[in-house]
Amino acid sequence: MPMLEQAMIQAKGFRNAGSGEERTGFEVRIRSPYYRGTWTNLIDGVRVEVDGETFPSESIVWSIEGTDYTAGDLRDSETARWPLTAPATLRVPKPGGLSVGIHDVTVALSFRMSYIPVELQPQTWTASRKATIVR
Amino acid sequence: MSTEPAFKLGVSLYSYTGDFGVVMDLEDCAEDIADLGATGIEILGEGHILGYPELSTAWIDGWHALVERLGLTPTLYGSWLDTRRHLDRSMTVEEGTAQLTLDIELASRLGFSFVRPKIGVVTGDLVPDPIWSEVVERNLDLAHDRNIVICPEIHWPTSIRSQAVDDYLALIERTGTTSFGLLIDTGVFQLSHHRRTEPGLRSQLGTGDIPAFPTPPVVPVNDLRDVMDQVVYFQAKFHEIDDQLVDRYIPWAEILDVVAESGYTGWLSSEYEGDRIPYRASDQLRRQHALIRTLAPSRVGALA
Repeated sequence: MPMLEQAMIQAKGFRNAGSGEERTGFEVRIRSPYYRGTWTNLIDGVRVEVDGETFPSESIVWSIEGTDYTAGDLRDSETARWPLTAPATLRVPKPGGLSVGIHDVTVALSFRMSYIPVELQPQTWTASRKATIVR
Repeated sequence: MSTEPAFKLGVSLYSYTGDFGVVMDLEDCAEDIADLGATGIEILGEGHILGYPELSTAWIDGWHALVERLGLTPTLYGSWLDTRRHLDRSMTVEEGTAQLTLDIELASRLGFSFVRPKIGVVTGDLVPDPIWSEVVERNLDLAHDRNIVICPEIHWPTSIRSQAVDDYLALIERTGTTSFGLLIDTGVFQLSHHRRTEPGLRSQLGTGDIPAFPTPPVVPVNDLRDVMDQVVYFQAKFHEIDDQLVDRYIPWAEILDVVAESGYTGWLSSEYEGDRIPYRASDQLRRQHALIRTLAPSRVGALA
């Protein structure tokens, strides 16, 4: 199995989506900070920030092992999973994409854990890094 | 002294959370476990099985070849009852039963003897979702057929003297089953909190209004004596063993006294839960096994 970077936000896979003048957004790849794979229902949302601009969970499309999921798809599927060692690509809409160069990227990812009292849920992991758009 | 303890030593792959998929794969972890002298390997079904819940024949064959080559015994398969999987309703008995059945069948195909369902809770003081008893009872015949013991985990901040444990013991009493028992996570005996660091990651629980978790120490090791007859497995949770081979968080000498006194011959399966820094688990696991192997003969000797 391919090894991932230790950081939740991977340097690999951070790129603009769409081509040339038709940039439609960008993608950021993450590895799961949890110690297990989960049914996707347990993902309670993700927030992406780039250079201070926030992109809400409902606008982001996930791609896991080649299948795309909206936030609603993740919530509603009875069978979809996010395996522990499979990176997820977050497709974020942003007309024009991101400029070439270094960006400050933050991802806040939440899971619902049934074995922790509901009052203390969800659990949110937050990671920040500088990541580079090459083209 | 090189006397082997009466109990058996294993390692949970949970220990390698800071390594798995980053610097180590399943084979690397298994080789590390064999190299440090343990004979048992514990996994998390949803964590470490590629393709869960649909296992390929190739993966199953590879697993059996791996543990045979390294002389490892599959011990416990960790599973979950995600009772709050859906936002608008809780899990039904039928759904819970199906989930546990699925995991018992997978565990059986991989040669495991124990399945630990981590059960969702319904209160701030960790009362398990009431579906648990019927979910377990509907799976007892299957577990018996597959030579698997179902064991819920007694995990901090649940204590041994608790309604949850009383209810688990009542199920054994009521059904007379030998396919259900207690799993003690040694973290219940923690003397103080270890605050884990994980480079580059901040973790935040919700901030709802429930009574604060108790301040350790909460569970005296003595309480273990009362339930040892029903303990089928230990997760030997630990966080940090220092350069003098001292664990300031878990009272191993006292725990091993009770284990030795009871004549327990089952597994102590290490669960490293310290700082999640790659390559750290391998060293800490060796320290813990050196500590346990050093302490165990003298505790048994003290009883003679």
